[in-house]
Amino acid sequence: MPDDPYTIADLARLAGVTPRTVRYYVAQGLLPSPEAAGPGTRYSAGHLARLRLIRHLQREHLPLAEIRNRLASLGDEEVRGLVGEGGETRVPAAPAQTLAYVQDLMARTGVQSRVSAAHEAAAPYQARYEPLVPDAFPTRAAPGDPVTPTPASTPWTAEPRPLPPDRSTWERHTLNPDVELHIRRPLDRRTNKRVDQLIRIARELFDDEG
Amino acid sequence: MTNPATRTLVDPNLTIRPDRTLIRAHARSERFLLVEVVAPTVAPDPSRRRAPVNLAFVLDRSGSMGGQNKLGLAKQAVVEAVHRLEAEDRFSVVAYDNELDVVIPATVAAPGERRRTADRLAGLDARGSTNLHGGWLTGCEQVASSLTPDGVNRVLLLTDGLANVGVTDHDELQRLAGTLRDRGITTSTFGVGTDFDETLLQGMADSGGGHFYFIGDVAQMRDHITSEVGETLEIVARDVVLELVLPDGVRVEALSPFRVEHRAGIARVHLGDMVSGQVLSVVLRVTFDFGEVGREIGVAARIADRDGAFAASTPAVAPITVAWRYADHGANDTQPRDRDVDRVVARLFAERARQEAVQLNRQGRFDEAGKLLDGVRRRVASYAGSDPELQRIAAELRDERPSYAAAMPEYARKRAYYDASTYLRSRSPDGQSQKRV
Repeated sequence: MPDDPYTIADLARLAGVTPRTVRYYVAQGLLPSPEAAGPGTRYSAGHLARLRLIRHLQREHLPLAEIRNRLASLGDEEVRGLVGEGGETRVPAAPAQTLAYVQDLMARTGVQSRVSAAHEAAAPYQARYEPLVPDAFPTRAAPGDPVTPTPASTPWTAEPRPLPPDRSTWERHTLNPDVELHIRRPLDRRTNKRVDQLIRIARELFDDEG
Repeated sequence: MTNPATRTLVDPNLTIRPDRTLIRAHARSERFLLVEVVAPTVAPDPSRRRAPVNLAFVLDRSGSMGGQNKLGLAKQAVVEAVHRLEAEDRFSVVAYDNELDVVIPATVAAPGERRRTADRLAGLDARGSTNLHGGWLTGCEQVASSLTPDGVNRVLLLTDGLANVGVTDHDELQRLAGTLRDRGITTSTFGVGTDFDETLLQGMADSGGGHFYFIGDVAQMRDHITSEVGETLEIVARDVVLELVLPDGVRVEALSPFRVEHRAGIARVHLGDMVSGQVLSVVLRVTFDFGEVGREIGVAARIADRDGAFAASTPAVAPITVAWRYADHGANDTQPRDRDVDRVVARLFAERARQEAVQLNRQGRFDEAGKLLDGVRRRVASYAGSDPELQRIAAELRDERPSYAAAMPEYARKRAYYDASTYLRSRSPDGQSQKRV
């Protein structure tokens, strides 16, 4: 709306991001589009609250896909309620989000998911990551594609177990609007450990920047 | 359980007693508060159903569980516990060694399913090493796959050994338990025998919003598992929080092992889930800066829970204000003390010292263990006066000193640690919640 208080520069400054990040989130559907485009574009208090919540969830290392899922289910009032005065937030976990969280923990530490596809289908959200990647990007193996079994060097699998084809997914970590890291999960334990280290270091590197 | 409008909740209570009511005008003061919280009781009404539970039993099937028929007894305990569930509940069974098996995927506890449990567990035998982390997460996934937002979603993790496969770092496992609790899944832990790590299991249960049980005698396995399941069926208020509004210059910390969150002049003490009529004692340490003689300073306290059970009860629990008054040294030194508070505080310090002494003892630091108990004993003796209970607490510390100051058998260490653990959390010596009589 024209009455909305913030220019993109105001909004970015208040949330501690660059204007470019704001545009990026809008393009990715994490923030609603402002009412009018162009240099006179104004953003609302709802945008600011949402933006702060996104930053908070990013600090918790949630992938953008999950952040988008969470925000999608929240109204402006709820978002404002979650971004407390102290900047502390607590997002109520929907059941599907809890499942996604547990499965993310399992994937990160090489524990194989045992919840059948039927369960996942019943969940309102796609429980595994739906990375926000361009259409042309090969997000996951097609059902018939050959699948490489995970190496059996890890101590908890006595035998290499070929993973069902639909279990391999790309996970995207946005380090800043211009830099991304793509990881195909699940990974074997050694690689997983290294990747975790890589993400940690990369986050520190880019978080310092702001 | 979670819809207060459909149940009759009666007689919750909140009392707060300070040990002393004067504070020093010209020095910093430290005072204690004894908080007693009584959860409302659900008035018996057969037409009301309790909220459903969703439980994952996660069983250690590592080689050592074959000894003393531990795994056999654990299976029996699960079969019995499952028979207490009703058709609205859900359960699953996961077994872990170095491999992870979902023996019974999350299933509705219909009568047929309950009857089939024993058959489905029959093939489960002990072997391999201990991927506690993988087993636990697999249980969490089963619970998450059928998460009941209004019910109790809990993983019951049983082990007789040390986590030696997968994530084994204690801090990380505890941190994960806390993040899962925030997302609606609580964790209770059961340590069998003397080879597990009680600080890990207690820590996971504390962060995970559940309970830890020490099963020193395998014959008690059934009692402990069924009592924990029974407790999940009786929960009336989830995520109970004691909220304290603090004036400037006043700080609060919990001596009892409950997490305190500080935020803009408010301290929130997280007390976890409470069952019908449960009584919880919490000791808080309050510290004050200087102030002018005669000035009063107060802390306001109220109790709340996620289900609104305390608020919906009759009579409702009114907020409480506790006040202290700044006074000169003379008045401070001669003021009366609430001996009941002194006794609980002394006992709490003694139990904390015992737990620490157990750790020192295990590390072979016998001398330090002895000195630690001496220190607390002297402090208690200094204000015991003629109070027989306080004198007894000091005497016990003196009598126990020799056993902590020499190598203890592992069973004695675990027993001492657990006795202290249960006291600190207002639970009975065998780990059960205590209720209003």
